[in-house]
Amino acid sequence: MLSVMKRPLKRILAIRGIAQVLTVTIGLIILCIVFGIMNPIFFSSRNVANLLRQIAPILLIGIGQSYVLITGNIDLSIGSVVGMSTMISATLMTKGMAPSAAVFITIICCLAVGLSNGLLVSFAKLPPFIATLGTMTIARGIAQIANNNYNTDSIGEAAQGFRDFFYYGKTLGLYNTIWIAILLWLIFNFLLTRTKSGRHIYAIGSNAEAARLSGVNLVSTTTKAYLVSAFVSCIVGLVTTATSGMGTMDAGNSYELYAVAASVIGGVSTLGGQGLLFGTVIGASIWGVLQNGLQFAGAPVAIRNIVIGVIVVVSVLLDVIVRSKNVAKKKKSASSM
Amino acid sequence: MDSPYIVEMEHITKTFPGVKALDDVRFRLKAGEVMALLGENGAGKSTLVKILSGVYTRDSGSITLFGNDIHSDLKPKQAQQLGVSIIHQELNMCSHLTVAQNIFLGHEACKARLLDNRLMRKQAAEVLQSLHIDIDPDTVVGDLAVSKQQMVEIAKALHANAKVLIMDEPTSALTSVEINQLFALIRELKAKGCGIIYISHRLDELQHIVDTVTIMRDGRFILEKPFADMTLNQIISNMVGREIKEKFPRIHTSKGRKILSVQNLCAGRMVRNINLDVYEGEILGIAGLMGAGRTETTRAIFGIDPKQSGTITLDGKELTIHCPQDAIREGLVLAPEDRKKDGLCIKLSIRENIALPNLDKLCNAFGIVNRKKEDAMVAQVVRDLKIKLSGPEADASSLSGGNQQKVVVGKWLARNSRVVIFDEPTRGIDVAAKVEIYQLMNELKKQGIAVLFVSSEMPEILGFSDRIVVMCDGKITGSLLQEQATQEKILELATRFENKFALER
Repeated sequence: MLSVMKRPLKRILAIRGIAQVLTVTIGLIILCIVFGIMNPIFFSSRNVANLLRQIAPILLIGIGQSYVLITGNIDLSIGSVVGMSTMISATLMTKGMAPSAAVFITIICCLAVGLSNGLLVSFAKLPPFIATLGTMTIARGIAQIANNNYNTDSIGEAAQGFRDFFYYGKTLGLYNTIWIAILLWLIFNFLLTRTKSGRHIYAIGSNAEAARLSGVNLVSTTTKAYLVSAFVSCIVGLVTTATSGMGTMDAGNSYELYAVAASVIGGVSTLGGQGLLFGTVIGASIWGVLQNGLQFAGAPVAIRNIVIGVIVVVSVLLDVIVRSKNVAKKKKSASSM
Repeated sequence: MDSPYIVEMEHITKTFPGVKALDDVRFRLKAGEVMALLGENGAGKSTLVKILSGVYTRDSGSITLFGNDIHSDLKPKQAQQLGVSIIHQELNMCSHLTVAQNIFLGHEACKARLLDNRLMRKQAAEVLQSLHIDIDPDTVVGDLAVSKQQMVEIAKALHANAKVLIMDEPTSALTSVEINQLFALIRELKAKGCGIIYISHRLDELQHIVDTVTIMRDGRFILEKPFADMTLNQIISNMVGREIKEKFPRIHTSKGRKILSVQNLCAGRMVRNINLDVYEGEILGIAGLMGAGRTETTRAIFGIDPKQSGTITLDGKELTIHCPQDAIREGLVLAPEDRKKDGLCIKLSIRENIALPNLDKLCNAFGIVNRKKEDAMVAQVVRDLKIKLSGPEADASSLSGGNQQKVVVGKWLARNSRVVIFDEPTRGIDVAAKVEIYQLMNELKKQGIAVLFVSSEMPEILGFSDRIVVMCDGKITGSLLQEQATQEKILELATRFENKFALER
C-alpha cells in the first residue's frame, strides 16, 4: 500500500519547503549564468575556487543559524562568537601555545557561549532576541579583552600548519576551508534529518506545546541547537585567524545577520518548524555569488549591500505571499462546508 | 481489578481564587463506555477533565485510575503514562511534521541511534489501518483537513496506549460525513476497550454513540444515568435548574423607533444569515453557548472581520462598514470581550485611552492634540461614569476590572454614539462593579442609545435584557421577549444545532 516509498523522486518533492529551495536554486543558476556572460573570468577555475572559499564561512554560520531558526528562536551572538574565537585562538598562539591546544580551548570557550544561550532561552525563558543580544555583547567584550584591547600580532611561523589546515592548504584540489564546510554540512544535515534530536528540533519549532506534551525535552533540544550554532561560529573564527594570520577584535561583525540572510533566502522559516540545510547551501551560495559577481561587475560595496538586502526581503516576501494564499485557500474550503 | 470502573473520581473539590470551580464532584467511567459529560458554560466540565489529565491539581478528593489509587498530585506525564489522553478542541500537533512523525513524536523508534523512518512509517500505517483511517503516514499534518488531523491525534493517543480518551467538542468543526467517520472511529475505540469521555453541547448527536451521561451544574455533580433512560428534555432541565439569586436594576422605558437593523449578515462559518433589530430604549441580549458565533457577530457588525453579505441600517440609513473606523464614524461602537487585549491599551494612561478614538476631535489642523480639550473630555467621562481613579495619568492597568470596563465604554460615549455593543461586559468583575455596569447600560437606554449585549451568564441575560436573541452554531435559533424567557427555553434554543446527521430525532 505504501507505493510512495518506492518513488524516491516523489518523496523528495513531498518534503515540506523543497519548492522554495528549488526556486532559489533556479535563481542561483540564473545569477551564475548572468555573471558568467558579463565576465567570462567568473567561471575561471581560479575564481570558482575563490568563490567557494568565500561561501564556506557563510555556509557554516548559516548552518548554525538555521538550526536555531528551525527551533523557532534566533542567535544574534554568532558574529561575536566568530570574533571571540579569532581573538582567543590568535592570542593563545602568539603567546606560544601549540595550535592544537589553542583550538581546543577556543572551542570550549565558544561552546560555553552556546550553552548559556540555550539555557537562557529554554530554561530561564528569556526572549531569544534579548538573551542572545546580551551574549553577543558579552562575547564581543571577551574578544576585546582577550589581548588587552589590541588586535594581536602575527601568529607566526609555528602556526603555519594551522593556517594551512584552515585556509591555505588544498586537499584533492580543493581548498581545505571548502572541505571543512562540506564535511560539517554533511554531519549536521545528517544529525538534523536522521536523529531523534534533529526531529525534536523541528517539532519544538513547529509547536512547542505539542512537542512538550509528547515528551520532548525543550531545554536540552533548544540548547543543542545553540551549541551547534556556537560550534560552527567557532570554526569560522578559526578560519578567520588562519586567513589573516592574526586576531582582529571586530572580526565577524554582523555575521549573525549574514547567517539569517543565508538561511532565509534558502527557505528556512524565521517562525520555526521549517527549513532544510540544503536550502542554506543555496542561500549562502547566492550570497557569495552576488558578492563575487557584483565585485567583478565593478559595483561598489554599497550597491552590493543594497542588492543583497533587497534579495533577502523579496525572498521572504514571496514566502509570505505563498503562505497567506495557502491559508486563504484553507479558510475558503472550511467555510464552504 | 474487581471494580468495573477504569476511572473513579470521588468528592473532587477545586477552588480558584474567588470561585469554587468544583464542589464534591463524582465521576466514573467503565472500559468500553462512552460517557457524555454535560453541563452549561462554566459548569466545571473542563476543570474536571483537566484534573483527570493532570493539568490542574485537585484540592481534595480521591482519584482511582485502573484500580490504582492516585495519592499524590497527578502530573500530566503520569496521567499520560497511565493512559489518559485529551483530544483538545484546538488540535495540538506539529503542523510541519508528517503524520508518522507526529504519531511517534517524543518516542521515536531508533536503530543504532538513528531514526528508523521505515519502521515508524510502517507502524503508523498499521495504527491508522487498525482504526480504518485512510491517511498516508507521509502526509504533512498541516496539509490535512481538520477532521483528518483530529483522527491523526486520536491515532497518536492510541499509539501512546491511551485507554481513556477525553474528547472536547470533537464535532464542532466537522461536516456530517466527517462526523459519521468520527463516530465509526469512536465505536472502533469502544470495541478495543477504551473508555471515552465525550464533552459536547450538541445533544442531538449523543444518541448515536453515548452510553451514559454525567451532568454537572455550577461545579456540582447532578446525576449519572444511562442515556437510554433519559429524554432530551430531562437532560436539559437537569443542566439548567439554576437558582437566580441576583437582582438586576431593570428600568422601564417605552420602546421607541428602530435604531439598528442588521439584515442577512454573513461572515464566515460562525456568522450565518443574522437578522437583528434594536429599538430605542431597549436592551437586546444575545445568548448562546461558547462558540455559538456571538462574538463573531459583534465583530462582523463592527467591521473587524470581513462580511460576505448583509446590510446594516442605522436610523434608516444604510451603512457601508468595511473597517472599525467606518463603524465608529457612524456611531456604532463595541466594548470587546477581552478588555485587556482588545479594549484598552493597558500600558497607556487613562487619559490616553479615553482620547485615543477621539483624537480627530481633539486635534487641530496640524494634528496637534489640544490638551485643554483633552483634559476636559477626560474629566467629563470620569465624572459621568463615576470612574474611580487616582488620577487620569494612572495606567489603565491600575484600575479594577469594573473601572476598566467603564473606561472602555467611556471612550465611546465621548463621541455621541448611537449603538453600543457590549461583549461579555461583566466577565471577571465583582458584584458591586457589575451593578454599576448595569446602571451604565440603563443610563444609555434612557438616553435612547441602542444597547446590544452578549453574555454567557444566563441570569444576567434573563434578568437584564428586554429581548433575548439566542444563537447556536453561527445562526439565530430564536428570539424571546423578556416575559416569555426561561432558562430551559434558552438552553433548548442554544443547543438547536442543525441536524448534520441524516437520522431524525
